[in-house]
This record gives sequence, C-alpha cells and structure tokens, in this order.
Amino acid sequence: MPVLKTWFGEIELHDDHIVRSIVLKPDVPVIVERLQQERFPAFDKSCRGRFRALSINLGLVKSEREYLALLRTVAIQLGKAQLATAFARPDARIIQLIDGVDDIDEAINLLSERLLAWEIVETEIDENSMQELASEPATRPLLKQELEVSIERLGNLRERLAGVIQLEMREIAPNLSMLAGELLGARLIARAGGLESLARMPASKIQVIGASKALFKHLKFGAKPPKHGIIFQHPLVRGSAADNRGKIARTIAAKLAIAARLDYYSKKAYPELFAQLQKRTEKLGKPGTKDLL
Amino acid sequence: MSIKRHKVAGVFLVDGQLATKGEALYGERVLGAYRLWNPKKSKLAALLKKEERVPITQDQIALYLGAASGTTASYLANIVSFVYAVEFSPSVAKDLVRLSERLKNVIPLVSDALRPDYGHIVELVDFVYQDIAQPNQAQIAITNAEMFLKSGGYACIMIKARSIDVTAKPKVIYKREVRKLEELFNVLCVRELEPFYKAHAAVIASLPG
Repeated sequence: MPVLKTWFGEIELHDDHIVRSIVLKPDVPVIVERLQQERFPAFDKSCRGRFRALSINLGLVKSEREYLALLRTVAIQLGKAQLATAFARPDARIIQLIDGVDDIDEAINLLSERLLAWEIVETEIDENSMQELASEPATRPLLKQELEVSIERLGNLRERLAGVIQLEMREIAPNLSMLAGELLGARLIARAGGLESLARMPASKIQVIGASKALFKHLKFGAKPPKHGIIFQHPLVRGSAADNRGKIARTIAAKLAIAARLDYYSKKAYPELFAQLQKRTEKLGKPGTKDLL
Repeated sequence: MSIKRHKVAGVFLVDGQLATKGEALYGERVLGAYRLWNPKKSKLAALLKKEERVPITQDQIALYLGAASGTTASYLANIVSFVYAVEFSPSVAKDLVRLSERLKNVIPLVSDALRPDYGHIVELVDFVYQDIAQPNQAQIAITNAEMFLKSGGYACIMIKARSIDVTAKPKVIYKREVRKLEELFNVLCVRELEPFYKAHAAVIASLPG
C-alpha cells in the first residue's frame, strides 16, 4: 500500500482511495520544521500529479491558488533556514576573524608610523622654536596621546580576536593548529577559501599560497620559483638558514596538507604528526643531508 | 515603439529587442510595461532570439534546474504560470530566495539537482529547463525528468561544451550529449547559441507519452 509522504502530510492510498491521512495545519513554521527534520522516501511519479487535489480534498487549503501561495511561503522560509545553516560554517567565521586581525595589524603599523613622524617633528619644534609650541600648548600633546591610546586599544582588540581564533581553531582544525599555529593555520584557511578547499589542495600549492605574484612570474617569464608563500611566517621556515628554507618549506607544506585533510575529514588530533615534522626538519637543518631528499 | 509578438506567447519584441511583461527586478532596462531581456546574459533569451518554436506556453508549470540568482527564472516566471527553481550554491541561492519574495509564482528550492531531495515538494511539471554547466548534466536532466516531467512534457537543456570537455570540438560534444539524452527523451532540435554564447547549444526534447 503506497504511503505518500509529502510536504503537507502523509496519505495512505489503496486502489486510489484514501485509507488514512494525516494532514498538517497551514502553519508555516511547523511545516518548515518538519521538512528540515524528517526524511521523505521516494514514491511513484503518478502520485505527484495529485498534490493539489489531495491538499484541497483533505482540507489543507481551499483552492489551488491557496495551495501555491502556502507552498511558496513555506519554500521561502525553508530556503532561508537552509541558507542560514550553510553560512554558519565555522570556517566562514574564522576567515572573518583572521582577516580582521590582519586588517588591525595593518592599521596599527600605519598609525604607529604616523605617531613616530609626529614625535620627531614635535621634538624639532621643541628645540628650534619655542614660539611654535607656545601657540597651542595644550592641544598638541593631547592629540598625540589620543593617537597613542587608539593604537593601544586596537592592540587590545587584536589580542582578543586572536584569542577567539585560537580557541576556535583548536576546535575545528586541531592538527593544523598544532603544526602551523592557530593564526597561520587560520590564514591558510582564509586564503584557500575554507577548510574544505585547503584539504583538497596539493601540498605544492599550499607551499606557495600568498606568493602568487612570484609564482606567475615564474610560470610566465621563467623567473625563479617561489620557495614559500605565507608559510614563511612559520617559525621553522623563518628560523632556518636561507639556503635551507626551500626544503623546509616543502616539508612543512606537505605535512600541513596532511593536517588539513585530517582536520576536515576526521576532526581528530594526531600528535605524532608534529613529532614527525620536527624530526624531519631537524635532519634537514644539518649539513650534508642533500641525499635525504 | 513597435511591439511584435514572439511565437512564444508572453514574449515580445519591443523595437526588435526581446522582452517580457513584468516588473523590473534587478535594474534591467524597461520600456513601458516591458522588461528587456538581454540575449547575451540569458541563454533562454538567446534561444528565443534564434528559434521561433520553443515549447513554452502560458499554462505550464516549469521546473528550472540551476536557477543561479534567478535572473532567467524571473523572465520564465513572466511567461509560464509557475516555476519551481532549484539552486544548490548558497551564495547565489541567497539571491534566488530574495527574488522569490517579490515574484508570486516562483518557488525556490535550495537543493542539489543531481540528488533531488525535493520529491515531496515539487508536483508534476510540463516543462523542465536546465542550465547546469556540469559534465554529468545529461544524467541530471534524465533523473529529474523521470521524477517530475509529465509524459508528453518538454525539456530544454542548455549544454556548455567547455564544461563537459575542453579538448573536444563543441559539435562532437553536442552529439554525444544528445545521444545520452535520447535514452529517455525524443530530441526535437539542437540549436547553437552563437553569436550570443560561444560553444553553447540548446537541446529541445520531449518525454514520450
């Protein structure tokens, strides 16, 4: 006996007659919630032509027009709910946060330079012409102070954002956080456009994320290929001798690719990954290790 | 202003430019009560510009697969009675949902047309329009027609050769896709969309009764 489970209710048919039926009330939130939570098994195509008639016979709506109006409202609400969950992806949030941190860093640098420039000018004024200073004695130091305070506030905000990123990164990408650090890991996710895209990237691409200018110069004009993109920020890359950085960057990128995949597909932390990376980079740091690669 | 009727009722040629009757929705040009329809921005418009006999009629219920932000869907909604519009990508589906709030006869579905999970929502339809640039688009059309298209109903499938195989010649690809579609459909005609779209073709087909 075919049971029709539709968006407006369940109907059991026998020889084309309705044996049993549960029809919802035309209450949009209730219908939308049911659509999101329940499973709807497939049924015969011929039943599909009867949606309108059944809903009228069973008293859900009075006319076809009403049927369509109700279905449309339901679909719009359902679509909105589905989109809300799609946009609530945790990595989408992290991308916003890390971009915020980087914007603030840029702003702090810019303002600090300005502050320094002001200070130099002010000292010169102090020494050369006392009159200049005397004309507006109170306001100028105040302005400077205000800028100083603003920079400090931005610094505090940055630290708070970084704290949130650290917590969330450990949650959604434990391996990446361990290998790259939470902030660099978040930057890699942001540049890749999400944890999934990062997990799908080959290590060779992760190695040069953030070095696209150099990469295309290499591909187009045969310049030297870039050794590292933003993974240059990794302490192991930055801390190593210049002639070793290429190898180290390559090794780290390879391990980061594995870490991103573990994070995206399993979410479990594998502490041995970090030990492996350390062992490997230690070997690379010693002279006479070319044959290892 | 000269107004001519297209063979497809509900479509007009206003001073030689394709148009439908309706409210402007996204800043397109409007002449009187007519919304102009740019054949370079909509494959359906390109097809209507090139082909007089397209099986779209005013009483149809349509299923639109790959509606994107709903631009073409909004014109189709001006012509037919009702449109179920399917789009999977959240970033453009957002626009589609917003547009549906303004159009009384569009039902948005945020779903993957490859794995239709809207079987309990969509009724039988008279016309399936597909604009999904995917290598397996023929399969998607067949799956959906098997579930939703009335026998004797029509389908219009837009093929983007470059999304199926960049190396093969477009004409070869069209033939191959038509052969796949013929497993279910009667293919009525194939029209290339030059000069409006490069390496695109429209396949018009019907479902045997």
